[in-house]
Amino acid sequence: MSTNLKISNVTKIYPGCVANDNVSLEFNSGKIYALLGENGAGKSTLVKILSGVIIPDEGKIYLNENNLKLISPLDAKKNDIGMVFQHFNLFETLSVFENLIIDSDEQRKSLREKIDSIMKKYNFLIDLDIPVLNLSAGQKQKVEIIRCLIRNPKVLIMDEPTSVLTEQETSELFLSLKKFSEEGILIIYITHKLKEVMQLCDEVAVMRRGKLVSVSQIKNENIESLANKMVGQNLKTIKKRKAKTSSDQLINITNLNFISEDPFETNLNNINFSVNRGECLGIAGISGNGQSELFQVLSGEILSDKNSIEYNKNYIGDLNPQERREYLMAFSPEDRLEQAAIPQMAIFENVALNNFKSSNFFNNGLINENKIKEHSKKIISDFNVNTDNIELKSQFLSGGNLQKLIIGRELITAPDLLICFNPTWGLDVGAINYIHETLIKINEQNKSIILISTDTDELLKLSDKISVIHKGKLSNIMNADEVTSEKLGILMGGGN
Amino acid sequence: MIIDIHFIGLIITSIMASAVPLILASCGELITERSGVLNLGVEGMMIIGAISGFAFMTVTGSLFIAVIGAMLAGVLISTIFAFLTQTLITNHVATGLALTIFGIGISAMIGKNFVGIPGKEFPVLFESLKDTIPFLSPILFGHSIVFYFAFALPFFTNYFLKKTKIGLIVRAVGDSPESASNQGINVKLVRYSCILYGGAMCGLAGAYLSMIYTPQWIENMTGGRGWIALALVVFSTWNPIKILIGAMIFGGLTIIQFHMQAMGVRVPVQFLTALPYIVTIIVLVVISRDSRKIRLSTPSSLGKSFYKDN
Repeated sequence: MSTNLKISNVTKIYPGCVANDNVSLEFNSGKIYALLGENGAGKSTLVKILSGVIIPDEGKIYLNENNLKLISPLDAKKNDIGMVFQHFNLFETLSVFENLIIDSDEQRKSLREKIDSIMKKYNFLIDLDIPVLNLSAGQKQKVEIIRCLIRNPKVLIMDEPTSVLTEQETSELFLSLKKFSEEGILIIYITHKLKEVMQLCDEVAVMRRGKLVSVSQIKNENIESLANKMVGQNLKTIKKRKAKTSSDQLINITNLNFISEDPFETNLNNINFSVNRGECLGIAGISGNGQSELFQVLSGEILSDKNSIEYNKNYIGDLNPQERREYLMAFSPEDRLEQAAIPQMAIFENVALNNFKSSNFFNNGLINENKIKEHSKKIISDFNVNTDNIELKSQFLSGGNLQKLIIGRELITAPDLLICFNPTWGLDVGAINYIHETLIKINEQNKSIILISTDTDELLKLSDKISVIHKGKLSNIMNADEVTSEKLGILMGGGN
Repeated sequence: MIIDIHFIGLIITSIMASAVPLILASCGELITERSGVLNLGVEGMMIIGAISGFAFMTVTGSLFIAVIGAMLAGVLISTIFAFLTQTLITNHVATGLALTIFGIGISAMIGKNFVGIPGKEFPVLFESLKDTIPFLSPILFGHSIVFYFAFALPFFTNYFLKKTKIGLIVRAVGDSPESASNQGINVKLVRYSCILYGGAMCGLAGAYLSMIYTPQWIENMTGGRGWIALALVVFSTWNPIKILIGAMIFGGLTIIQFHMQAMGVRVPVQFLTALPYIVTIIVLVVISRDSRKIRLSTPSSLGKSFYKDN
C-alpha cells in the first residue's frame, strides 16, 4: 500500500524567530526525500512537528488523506510515523532490550523474536542484553532504527543521521535506507550535507530561515545548485593559490612516540615531519587512527620528549599548552563544546580562558573584565560571529559561530602556527566556506597550519603538503598537487 | 562471661526492629531517586508521619486509621515537594532541605498537645508460634505487620524495578527524562507518583517509630534517621537488597554499642556512638565498589529539573 504524507501550511513561531513559516510539502512512498537546509533553517522543527514532539501554531498534517492530530510523540507512533532523532533518545544505563520493550505492548518473547528477525533481515549485529552506553554511535543508531521498525512504520524520518557516523557506518546506513524504501517505507532524510543528498535521495526540498525555498528532483540538481539554494546566494568557489615555496622551517617533529595506557587510544609510532613558514600540512586519515592523540601531543595536552618537537629553534616537547601558546602556537581542537570552549560560560569568559601574559586579562589575580570584553567584541566583529551579546553562554552559539569564535580567539594573537583538528566538522556550507577562507588567509600571511582532518576534500583544497595517518603511523609527506583523493583513500585504508 | 542464647536472640530482634524505619524510608526514597528526583526531605516526612500517626491514634483510637493517616500525611507533605520541584521547577536540594525544616517545625507545633500521652499496644502477628522452634521462632514471630512488610519491601522493590514494565519506566525516566518524554512517557506523572510513594513510605517509617518502636510522641524523635536513610540509598548504589544489608549493619551497631556502653567497655563513648555511621558507610562503599555497576545503577538525571518546552 502506498503512503502519502502531506504537510499543509505549517507555521511555528518562537519568541524572536519564525522556525517554520507557512511550510507545505507532499511526500509519497517509494522515494527517499531529502530535507536540506543550513543549521537553524527549521528542518528539525518541521520533523519534530511530524513526530509530535513540537505542536505547530498553525497548519495541518495529512497521512493518506487523514488529518492527524499530533500532540504527543505517542500520536506519531500510533499513526506509524517513526523518527530517529539527531541526538539519540536512548536510555544509556538500560539494556538494549529494555530500551526496545519500554514503548512496546508486546510480550518479551514475541518481541525478542521480532527484533531477531529484523536484525537478521537487515544484517544488524547488536547484543540485546548489554547496556546501551557500551554501544558505538552507529550501533546506537541501529537500535533507534529497530525501535521504529518494530512498529512497521509507514514513514521513517532520519534527522541528520550521519553526523556521528564513520564513513563505513554511513554507507551501511544508506544501504539499509534504500532497502526500507524499496519495501514501501516513506523516507524523509534531513541533512545539511549535499554529497549525501546527491548519493541517496530522489527528491529534495530546501529550507532557508524557516521557509521552503524549493522542491526538485535530484536528477535536475547538482552540488553547486543545491548549495546556492541552501545559502541563498551564489557561493564563491574558494581556491588556494599556490604558495611560494619557502624553506624557512617553523616546526620540526623528530622520532615522536606516544604509548597510551588506555586501550581505546592509539599509540603514535615514530612520527617525523616538518612544516615551513607559510605552509599548510594536511594530515588525512579515517577517524580513530591516532589523530586525536597526535593533536594532543602537538598541543601539549600530552607531554612528550623535550627534543621531539623543535619549534622556531626551541625544544618544546615538554611544555604544556599554555606555555606553548606563549611561543605563538594556537590550537583549535575537534570537540568545540567539550575541549575548545566551556558551554556554560559566557563568550567573553571563554575568550579569557586563552590567557596570555601579554594580554593583561588579569591584574593581580583580579579579572580585568573591561579589557576582556573589548577583546571579545573585536573577535566577534573581526571573525563574523553572528551575535552581539558577548554575555551569551557559548552553548547557545551554533556550531559555525562557535567555531568562528574559537578560531578568532586563537588567531587574534597572531600566532605563527595554528593546529586545527576537524575545524569544519558538522558545520553548514556558509560557515565551512568562511573557515576555509580564513585558513587560506593565514597561509598568505606567511603563517603555518597543521590541519588534521577526516574530510579529504577539505585537505585537498587547503593543504600544500599532505600526509596520511594510519594506525598511529604517518605516511610519506606528499606535495598536494601530486595527490588525488583516490590515492589518499588507499593510504587511509592502510594500502601503499 | 557467659552470654545466654536467649539474650543473643533478644539482641537480634532489637537490631531488626531498629532497622525497620531505615528500610521503609530508604526503599521509598530509592524509588523517588530512581525516577531522577532527589528528595532530601526524608527526615521531615518521617517526623510528620510520626506525629500524624500518633495524633490519629490518640484522637480516633483506631490503629488502622492511624497508620493510614500517617502514610497520607507523608503523601500530603511530599505533594508540596512534588508541586514545587516538578510543576514550579524549583531546585531539588533546596526544596528538600526546606521540607525537612518545615516537617520538624510543624511536627513540634502539633505535637505540643501529645507530649506525655501514653501510646497504645500495637497487635503482633504469629504470637502463638513463638515457642515452636528454639532460638529462631522468638526472632521470627511475634512482630507487628509493619515489621514484616519492611523486611519484604526490599525484595518487592527489587522485583518491581527489574521485572515490571512500570519499574522499567521509572528507571528510564531517571536515566533520561528527555528521551522518555520523546518516547511519549509522561515524565511529570511518573515523577509525581514516585515522590508521593516515597512520601508514603517515609510516613509509614515515622508511624512505626511513634506507634510501635517507642509508642509515644517525643519532639524530634526521628533523631537523624532520615539522613541515615538517605545515605543508605546512595551508598547502596540504589540497590534495595544492599539497603537491607546496610540498615541491618547500622541498626546492629547502634544496638551493640549501647550494650557495650552498658557493659563499660573502655572505649570513648563518642567513638562508640560514631561507630555505626562509619562502619555502615565503609561496608557499603566496599560492597559497591564496581564503578561500571555504579554507572549503570545511578540515575543519570538525579536532582536535575526537567521541563518540556513546546
